[in-house]
Amino acid sequence: MKKFQNITTRLAQVVIILVLVTFGITVLVRLLPGDPASTYFPYATPEELKVLRREYGTDKNLFAYYIDWVAKVFRGDFGYYYSVNGGKALSVTAMWKQAMPVSLWLMFYTVVFSLLCAIPIAMITAFREGSRVDRITSNLLFGFSAIPNFAIGLGLVFVFAVQFGLLNPVGYHPWRDGAWLHVKSMILPVLSLSVGQIAAYTRLLRADLIATLKEDFVAMASSKGLSNRWILWRHVFRPSSLTLLTTAALNMGALIGGAVIIEVVFALNGLGMFLQASIAQRQYLAVQSTVALVAAAFILFNVCADILYGVLDPRVRAHRGR
Amino acid sequence: MAVKRKPIGFYLASGWMGLCVLMSTVGGFLPLPNWKVGDYDNLGVGLFSPGHLLGTDTSGIDQLSAVINGTRLSLTISFTAAILGILIGGFLGILAAYSRGWLDSVILMYFNVSLSVPTIILALALVSIFASSDSMGQTSALERIGTLILTLAIVLIPILGRIARASALSWTGRDFVLAAKAMGMKPLQIMWNHILPNVVPTLLSIGFLAAGVLIVVEGGLAILGAGVLDGSTWGAMLATNRQLLTIYPHTTLIPAAAIAMTVLSLNYFADYIRNIIDGRESRL
Repeated sequence: MKKFQNITTRLAQVVIILVLVTFGITVLVRLLPGDPASTYFPYATPEELKVLRREYGTDKNLFAYYIDWVAKVFRGDFGYYYSVNGGKALSVTAMWKQAMPVSLWLMFYTVVFSLLCAIPIAMITAFREGSRVDRITSNLLFGFSAIPNFAIGLGLVFVFAVQFGLLNPVGYHPWRDGAWLHVKSMILPVLSLSVGQIAAYTRLLRADLIATLKEDFVAMASSKGLSNRWILWRHVFRPSSLTLLTTAALNMGALIGGAVIIEVVFALNGLGMFLQASIAQRQYLAVQSTVALVAAAFILFNVCADILYGVLDPRVRAHRGR
Repeated sequence: MAVKRKPIGFYLASGWMGLCVLMSTVGGFLPLPNWKVGDYDNLGVGLFSPGHLLGTDTSGIDQLSAVINGTRLSLTISFTAAILGILIGGFLGILAAYSRGWLDSVILMYFNVSLSVPTIILALALVSIFASSDSMGQTSALERIGTLILTLAIVLIPILGRIARASALSWTGRDFVLAAKAMGMKPLQIMWNHILPNVVPTLLSIGFLAAGVLIVVEGGLAILGAGVLDGSTWGAMLATNRQLLTIYPHTTLIPAAAIAMTVLSLNYFADYIRNIIDGRESRL
């Protein structure tokens, strides 16, 4: 019963946050100087503007406008892209279909690559805490974590694309263009996003591993004669991976739409770039719906992180054995 | 207790930050070419050219002079915003932790709501709102700087607030707070006298980290075309010079290196303070 109540409060919180985020962004969008009507038809007369605003629904007050939008979203209509010829040419969902795969692949590769690099590095440095390898690696990673990802991106473009002419620096290629092209277009962006994350993950995991290595059950396992490798993976890694996984989940949420600078540097038309263009072009509906989508994804990953927490560490499973 | 020697990183970080502060105050008096006027005989020369230690960009602007000039605004913007963020975020965080109850829920909800929108997107929207008061987007440089500071501070408040709240929560339940309450101290007095001093080290550590992050965010906004645009910050230099990365790579790499070194130093300070706090707490 208690567990059920827990889930309901959690769900209510998620709904409230979503409502507040979408309402907040509606307020922000309406505060943007210049509305779609005057942006797209700069030479329209006041009467014409009035008609246009009625058509766009921007003549309504904030609350009516917001409720309109919510009602449409519930019917699966996320709005359309205003265009100069006045038509409702492109729906926002159609634009998402183009942008979403880019952002999702970018996020997926970045998180997988970062974890694949960070976990072994953290294991080695934690196991040999204080050794020369540990000190050099830790300092190097500390240095890398300070370099902004766009600086890494620009540096990589310079080295690989310009000096060696190896990888194409800009543009996205989907899988159907061929696997090699797809991978090639993603290597540099993923690398530039990963460096900082590898440093952060390694730091977190290393600290947790060192704390766990001092626990009694590790000494116990060691005295039973289990091999170091077995102890590290089975006894130490699992309880130490909690913070890492939560952070990774949060980063996954943040990377959808949050990687806008890397998307711009490498001309990947993902959600971040779509949002940036929409803000610049006063595409009210596109901004509202996309921010709602990004926020929903972020909250979803948050909740997943919480659930993972319970699965991985029985000690934090809510209301068990108490 | 024996005085422990400070690690070499501390001196390096202090040295770089000291240099930055020095350059941002007296940098304008150095015998260097004007950063706004190009040297048309030396367009786009590389590093270590005669007369131009760090070379020039495509319009002949001396890069050493430009990067020194950029120090002032980059540091001013990020530090002012960081201080604003610490003051407001810290206050809200401590208030939430102390009051618990509905006020805590409201403040925490505000933090969570603004944190669920990616930082850079929120900053972009806020800059667009504040920056162009008229539809032509004609704003003075000073207005743009004010806009950036305000935006960065707003973005920072929930991040710092949440950390301040978490840190304050571990102190609000202690006996000395209860004792102060029993003595009839006013809530604001308790927060100021008993909770704030304990939260300050954490806030300071996070504040250095935040100032570094803000320099990066400012650079990012500049790349997106929403920063200071006339090349007077490191981010703005990066944004304009990156178009010619293939031809004049040094003009992009110089401001990038300046940003990276500054962030590295600030991170180091944050880490250093954190280590001191950890050491102090473990002795308790």
